[in-house]
Amino acid sequence: MRPRLLSLLLPVAMAGCSSILDVTPKDTVPNATAIVDASGAHSALNGAYSGLQSLDYYGEAYVVFSEVLSDNARHSGTYTSYADADNHQVAADNSEVRGIWTAIYDDVNRTNEIIVKVPKITGMDTDDRNEVLGEAYFLRALNYHNLVRLWGGVPLRLAPVATVAEAASITRSTPADVYQQILSDLGQAETLIANTDQTNEASLGAAYALEARVRLYMQDWVGAEAAARKVEDMGYALAPNFADLFTPTGTATSEDIFRVLFTPAQYNELGYYYLTKNLGGRYEVAADSGAMVAFDPASNGVGSAYNPADVRGQYSIRLDGSRVYAAKYRTATGAEHVHAIRFAEVILTRAEALAQLNRLPEAVDEYNRTRARAGLAPDARTGRTQADVLASIYKERRLELAFEGDRWPDLVRRGVAASTLGIAVSQTLMPIPQGEIDTAPGLTQNPGY
Amino acid sequence: MRFVSYVWRCCIATVVGVALFAAVSPQEALAQGTGVIRGTVSDSSTQQPITGAQVQIVGTALGATTNEQGVYVIRGVNASTVTVRAQRIGFSPVTREIAVGAGATASADFLLHPVATSLSQVVVIGYGSTSRRDVSGAVSHVSGSDVTGEPLAGVDAALQGKTPGVQVTQNAGNPGNGITVRIRGSASVSASNQPLYVVDGVPIQQEDFSQLGFDGQNLTAITSLDPNQIESITILKDAASAAIYGSRASNGVILITTKRGQAGPAKFTFGASLGQQSVARKLPLLNAKQYISYMAEAAKNDGYDPADEGFAVGIDDTVSTDWQDAIFRNAPVQNLTLGISGGSDKLKYYVAGSYFNQTGVVIGSSYQRANGRVNLDMNATDKLAISTSIGLSREMNYRIQGDGSLEGIVTNAIGNQPQFPIRNADGSFTDPDIGLNYPNSVALATYNSSPTTTQRVLANTEARYTLSNSFMFTGRVGTDLINLHERQWQSPLVLGTYSSSVNGIGKSGYSTGDKFTGEGFLTYNGKYRDEATWTVVAGGSSERNWDELNFVRGEQFSSAELHDAGSAASVTDYDASRSQHNLVSYFSRANFSVLDRYLLTASIRRDGSSRFGQNNRYGMFPAVSAGWIITNEPAFHALSRLGSIKLRGSFGVTGNQGISNFAYLGTFAAANYGTSPGISPNNFPNPDLKWEQTKEGDIGFDWTTLGGRVALIADYYNKKTSNLLVNRPITTTSGFSSFFDNVGDVKNTGMEYQLTTENILGSNPGDLTWSSDFSFSTNHNEVTALYGNQPIYGGTYSLNTARVGAPLGAFYILKFTGVNPETGDAVYQDTNGDGSITADDRVIAGNASPTYWGGFTNTFTWKNFDLKGFLQFSGGNKIFNGIRVFADDGGYNLDNKLDYVLSRWQKPGDMTSEPRASYDGNSGARQKSTRMLESGSYTRLQEVTVGYRIPNSVLHLGGLQNTRVYVSGHNLYTFTGYRGYNPDVNSNGSSSSIGLGFDFFAYPPARTFTVGLSTEW
Repeated sequence: MRPRLLSLLLPVAMAGCSSILDVTPKDTVPNATAIVDASGAHSALNGAYSGLQSLDYYGEAYVVFSEVLSDNARHSGTYTSYADADNHQVAADNSEVRGIWTAIYDDVNRTNEIIVKVPKITGMDTDDRNEVLGEAYFLRALNYHNLVRLWGGVPLRLAPVATVAEAASITRSTPADVYQQILSDLGQAETLIANTDQTNEASLGAAYALEARVRLYMQDWVGAEAAARKVEDMGYALAPNFADLFTPTGTATSEDIFRVLFTPAQYNELGYYYLTKNLGGRYEVAADSGAMVAFDPASNGVGSAYNPADVRGQYSIRLDGSRVYAAKYRTATGAEHVHAIRFAEVILTRAEALAQLNRLPEAVDEYNRTRARAGLAPDARTGRTQADVLASIYKERRLELAFEGDRWPDLVRRGVAASTLGIAVSQTLMPIPQGEIDTAPGLTQNPGY
Repeated sequence: MRFVSYVWRCCIATVVGVALFAAVSPQEALAQGTGVIRGTVSDSSTQQPITGAQVQIVGTALGATTNEQGVYVIRGVNASTVTVRAQRIGFSPVTREIAVGAGATASADFLLHPVATSLSQVVVIGYGSTSRRDVSGAVSHVSGSDVTGEPLAGVDAALQGKTPGVQVTQNAGNPGNGITVRIRGSASVSASNQPLYVVDGVPIQQEDFSQLGFDGQNLTAITSLDPNQIESITILKDAASAAIYGSRASNGVILITTKRGQAGPAKFTFGASLGQQSVARKLPLLNAKQYISYMAEAAKNDGYDPADEGFAVGIDDTVSTDWQDAIFRNAPVQNLTLGISGGSDKLKYYVAGSYFNQTGVVIGSSYQRANGRVNLDMNATDKLAISTSIGLSREMNYRIQGDGSLEGIVTNAIGNQPQFPIRNADGSFTDPDIGLNYPNSVALATYNSSPTTTQRVLANTEARYTLSNSFMFTGRVGTDLINLHERQWQSPLVLGTYSSSVNGIGKSGYSTGDKFTGEGFLTYNGKYRDEATWTVVAGGSSERNWDELNFVRGEQFSSAELHDAGSAASVTDYDASRSQHNLVSYFSRANFSVLDRYLLTASIRRDGSSRFGQNNRYGMFPAVSAGWIITNEPAFHALSRLGSIKLRGSFGVTGNQGISNFAYLGTFAAANYGTSPGISPNNFPNPDLKWEQTKEGDIGFDWTTLGGRVALIADYYNKKTSNLLVNRPITTTSGFSSFFDNVGDVKNTGMEYQLTTENILGSNPGDLTWSSDFSFSTNHNEVTALYGNQPIYGGTYSLNTARVGAPLGAFYILKFTGVNPETGDAVYQDTNGDGSITADDRVIAGNASPTYWGGFTNTFTWKNFDLKGFLQFSGGNKIFNGIRVFADDGGYNLDNKLDYVLSRWQKPGDMTSEPRASYDGNSGARQKSTRMLESGSYTRLQEVTVGYRIPNSVLHLGGLQNTRVYVSGHNLYTFTGYRGYNPDVNSNGSSSSIGLGFDFFAYPPARTFTVGLSTEW
């Protein structure tokens, strides 16, 4: 009898304590109150930009891993995932492939939160709302294009996931559907974005520039040329001095269209991966002899013989003793802003579109602009075949954008990755990460993995 | 301090409730007069008084402990004939009937017979203690003296091989390192697998509060306890025993009781030891000639000119450096302890201080600890007793960079090439400029430092109020305050590092963990004639935990003399955050002992945790166990000549809540973009998240025979953990890579044996004695269900897996089938037969956790000499030797190679299991496969100690007594097929549940020779 009485009394006595179980987090915000006003909308947009800073994205892997896959860079460090990329033995469990995929979809989700929730905010200024939404659409388009050019048709996720079952039921869309969605998002961005001068965030110019890139990948030469011309009409200009584009502090230039912002505390690791240990880097990735030959054929890819006339070649590849390294990002601290898209690329996009449309003299005029900035003599405007002009533009693109993450998707886009690198065609599309297939069984693997 | 007052309020509420109860219960004792029982307790063999023996009136809370002279006094005994039991660890208990008259003092002396200890102990069982005899669950007991003397900081490390069912792995060999403890196997995929530690009745903080990562060299809050101040350790292994700790008991509970004072004149105990440590084993790395010739062959095989690559035989190999010799050293370890205890019947004290100083065998590492403890016991009134237990500690741990950076000291000593010297001709350190693949280990150890200081207050106050002969109320308030400060300095003087390019990196972090516990419970002792006795405990407790941290990292220092982040020109990282989690619990337990042969225990606990959402905040954890002392059963009287046999069986439910604080809640966290504040989704919600649940059945027996000279405890357990707290992967297209969910089951089954024997029992003092203690455990672990049977991968390189049908954390990798004699390439099993080797060809390749382990201790005494030998073993598991990824890779990396490569394939027709050398890494040697998986089984001669007790007649110094000098050796020899430094390794750290069995350049353990002295006065 006594224990029973006891067990009745104690809970009564202790009942007052259960309220201590109602604990709220001090460093996070519950979903329900996260995006409910203009301030929350702006915070969410800043969060979406910060997703680009991820070390798996523009902060390092998206750029550097892609360069190792190409003929610009080779593996020289300790990470086996990079070694596998260099040897084109990438498998479905490659940790970098998974990291890049995850970082991009993380950012897709951040934009989806904005695109779904910001229209529901009451009492928000219309212009303000449009700008936030427009920039979110731009970012989603950028993310999906970065996905489709590495993996082909990827799953299209256009709203935040409510349940796990919903997440698991996703399937891959066709490349055409993904491109359709990208163009639709870019259309929204071009309608909604008013800003024309910011460069660490999306502007109208950035939306047109991305549209030009996307249409080039779609081989829509007319559309690419038109979008690129819109950018040219907005007053961007090549930075007179190539080195100014890559100063350690990320100084702004007239060439900047969209640069992902980095600071000493929100750093990138491009320099850290590319630089030698004596320069503070981990030298995970070295400049490949192929890149040296591209800049200076006479060097035969030997470091001691490397002496390019091209200003970009002098800047982009250097020697530390006998070690050849990619030198575009000069500090291991990684506080410089990273170009996601810059005006030189728009020029080369337009040049290529013009060449494809057989407007060869105009095309040569266009790409001679980047040659001139590199201190090279202009190529001949006439008397050349379309194939010859295109080959020059392809090479120009490689030299201009070396080590910036453009080479590998460019080879794949043109269908020459396998022949140029001597690899299996199946290795030109990245594998869907194995974990994705495990958790969303409707996703099919790319062939060969 | 608002929460302190909250805890107090809860306690006061409990006390009020209990007082209310006490007020309505009849005070039966008042009806009769009371008397006193007084007497002495002595050792039957030596006639010496026994200190610290417990004398108790059976069926009541009344009792006393003997003082220095072996004298006890029990007051307030009902005038009647009572049953009095006297017991002490190491002796068999004696029970007598004593008639007590009102107002009279009855005398009762006891002679206790010494026995093999394992079955006669008094064991702590959580919210009370009991005689081992009355225990019906699976409980292990280790006395404090069994965990001292090891040259190790933590008591958890010292438990290795000492008791069945408890599997202990050193993560790495560095001083003061974290330890992986698994009781009856790993059960959880994503929640903690470490047991709950309870010190003097109060659960303590046990996690690693450090913010800096050192790759497997994680800290543990357990090291702050000095093993020398521990009286005993009880391990609650089965769910029925542990369930009284409810939601934190799934991984077992380790109850630590610190030493307390005995009444009598002040007694001083002093101990000192000094040891010399050296690395037990070096890796067989190549010398310069071997390395250059191997790399030259690798280059040649792939069409390079070795001279171009710096591998010219006879030219590039003129210098040969043993980098391991350069970083290993002989290092001292010392331990000083001083204790004072004594007091009166009213006030007893135990005051102790100690200092432990261990220099690491790798340059740059060390550990120091200073401890103080004050334990007081006061009899404030006849009815009120108050005890305080206060422990203070300060630890200083110099850690060194581990494997995951390019600045690991051991890592780089293994990795750097042997043809380069440590110093240039001018005496400066060499660096990657001359061709070193990694920064110079010796420079790293010389210029960089990473000190961590941990200060801790572990204190509790307990009040026991005797309400009546039958009822006692216990109230307890405990605090555990940890303050950890860590710094790291990465000097610009170490060339070829990131820090040298930014003029140094300075880091500073502060972390605090504050835990407050308040609890109250009533203990009721009753009996029915002499046929049945029972003890009922019921109460409640509440716990609040606050964690807070800040961190700053700076770069760009004006001078290599300025090391603190405050002097940095550029702040490159910062943090400040806090978190809280709380627990509210009610519990009750009843023990019955009927006719001296039927034992029954039932308990229940209800826990509420702030870590779960409203839907599943509370969990209920019931348990029942029964014992039958069959040899006391009249019907089986014939059995009694076999000795005493107790059959036991138990079943219980326990929980696990070892996950992060807000795993159930969907949240956004800060995601700033430059100076623009931003947020982004950081946790996928699961409002239904609930307790992980373990149901465990245990059957066993305790058998003592030959007058207590042979004791065997055996158990079989079957433990099923369900609703696993799994950080379940989801498709990252959702924006999340995983979320916490309750899915899956893990089963652990195993056997445990502990055999304690007194092989030779001398009949006279000084005769030869020999006693042995053998423990042996097996564990079979299997994942029986997962969400949709989706496998989960974990560990470095995703080598390990949780998948249905395999042990948790099993290796899942390619199977190496040999080397092609024609090409020299490694060949792997094409499991799915598709003609190419891909991730789909991986197979379950071995268990990452041991399937059996144990220890064997033999102790001899002869005249004044004693000799102890301790063998410890473990096996059935595999270890992935991660060093081979770089040091047995065919020559793709420039790292020095293990001498395995000397047996490589060199020409067609060679039959070997070592692939050809390949500079481009295309021989297949780089694949992480079963080729790098080695047996983890080992047997270790862990300790040999020879001691000599100096006769008091010889030593006349200031009344010194019991003076003993000894010499001991630890980690003397390891028998193993494993070829790394140490098969006892876990580079992924204590918190890893899947990624076990991985060795990644782990700090090697030391072999230690110690001389020591202990004395009393």
